[in-house]
Amino acid sequence: MTGRIRAWTLGACGLGAALIGWWLLSLALAGGGGVISRLPPPFAVGAKLIAYARTDLAADLLASLKVFAAGWVAGVILATIAGVMLGRVRTLGRIFLPLVEAIRPVSSIAWVPLSIVWFGFGFTSKMFLVGLAVFLVVIVYAVDGSTRIAPELSRTAAMLGMNAWQRFRNLVLPGVLSEVFIGSRVSLMTGWGTVIVAELVAADAGLGAHLIGVQQSYDVAAVVAAMICFGASGFVMNALFSAVEARLMPWRQPAGQDE
Amino acid sequence: MADDTAATAAGTMRKAGVGRAVPGSRVLLPLAGIAFACAIWQLTVVVYDLPVIVLPPPWAVATSLSELVRSAAFWRDVGVSLFEFVCGYALGTIAGIAVGALMAESRFFRMTATPVIESLRFIVPFAWIPLTVLWFGTSYTGKILLVAYAVFFVMTVSTARSVMHVDPTLTRVGTMLGMSRIELALRVHLRAAAPAIASAARAAAAVGWIAVVAAEYVGASAGLGVLITNAATSLQTGHVLAGMVVIGLIGAGVSGLIRRLSRSRLDY
Repeated sequence: MTGRIRAWTLGACGLGAALIGWWLLSLALAGGGGVISRLPPPFAVGAKLIAYARTDLAADLLASLKVFAAGWVAGVILATIAGVMLGRVRTLGRIFLPLVEAIRPVSSIAWVPLSIVWFGFGFTSKMFLVGLAVFLVVIVYAVDGSTRIAPELSRTAAMLGMNAWQRFRNLVLPGVLSEVFIGSRVSLMTGWGTVIVAELVAADAGLGAHLIGVQQSYDVAAVVAAMICFGASGFVMNALFSAVEARLMPWRQPAGQDE
Repeated sequence: MADDTAATAAGTMRKAGVGRAVPGSRVLLPLAGIAFACAIWQLTVVVYDLPVIVLPPPWAVATSLSELVRSAAFWRDVGVSLFEFVCGYALGTIAGIAVGALMAESRFFRMTATPVIESLRFIVPFAWIPLTVLWFGTSYTGKILLVAYAVFFVMTVSTARSVMHVDPTLTRVGTMLGMSRIELALRVHLRAAAPAIASAARAAAAVGWIAVVAAEYVGASAGLGVLITNAATSLQTGHVLAGMVVIGLIGAGVSGLIRRLSRSRLDY
């Protein structure tokens, strides 16, 4: 228990030190010296954050989350279906998996200009980008989950005389779904990052559009405030999903918490 | 990231087994896949009678690519992007490994730094792009720092994790041999964690390379990101696709290079 208190105190000290360092740095750079033209002090950012929260934050956040949720759900579902098909049907897998591997290094960020040419500046183009980003992450997990089935389990299934559908329902599907679940968590941050870039480039709605708007009026404090909104919403999504994951799959240690 | 490597390993194993049964199928079937995809692409263009602006046929993209390769401006863009990437990557990797190792070695430092790192980690590099443009304009500095930032967090988190998971027997052996804490950290822990750190470096390279491209969309005067956004606004979709192919090839090339280096140096 004392170890816990120590960890909390030290953590709070670390955060406090970082904030004080930021404040001192902003004082030192206030005259406009150095490479960084302007660094707003923490209070100014806090004030902007409150002002933003009172006005458009909810609407912007909702617009961004809508794009994200639509793309993420579509990406996960399509990747699961495609992954199972490529993983279970050998020939399909041998034909199309190299194709997937060839597309994967072209991150969805590189698709932004093309997607704007195809779908214009709007909901569809951003949803396409998020869906693509999520798809390319999750399909790896889905293929992996559908090909890696413990041999003793499939021997048992053969011994019990299960037919193809029963085998799929009881052996393949649970394995695939648990892998897809992990892939979905990994893809949360990928998808959220894609939303940011898509909104920065095609700035018509959402947090990213707000970010570009305040950037173009040289309001540095508001830029930092918008960045904090992005970080906080990413953090909340990740925490929620990890909590659900711990609930559904208690045997699995979520990555990053094994200290 | 570890899952990713596991997936690749599983894939290679399975493919190797199949290749033995039907010789040549490992080359032929992927080629068939690519040919099939190109055929569908071509058919879509023909059947729906798509204009070149929307989707140029495969051969048009190949022509654009060969046009690009012959122009000097293209090589300048590639050079600028690669320069920004390499500088930022080196900076971020070295700083990330140093901070990560320090976090793993010192309980005090770990407890103090973790909340700061965790809260910054969720502000993804892309969210920093507008700020770096305000601070550093369209210069290389902003992009180099952005890549360093992106790479730093991947490297810190995975270095700390893999150093802390080093077999405790090794630490005990080192202590018995009379090594100091610094010697133990540098000569035992980092050495033992090196393969895991190398695979994190590969994942970080992918993140950093994409950060360069994304940063170039918003504020830059040269680079591959500028190349494809300019091509998109002038509706030269063939050049956009060719640029995407180049971005993918460089990304895959960098990742392959790091894998090859880590295999030849860290094969234990």
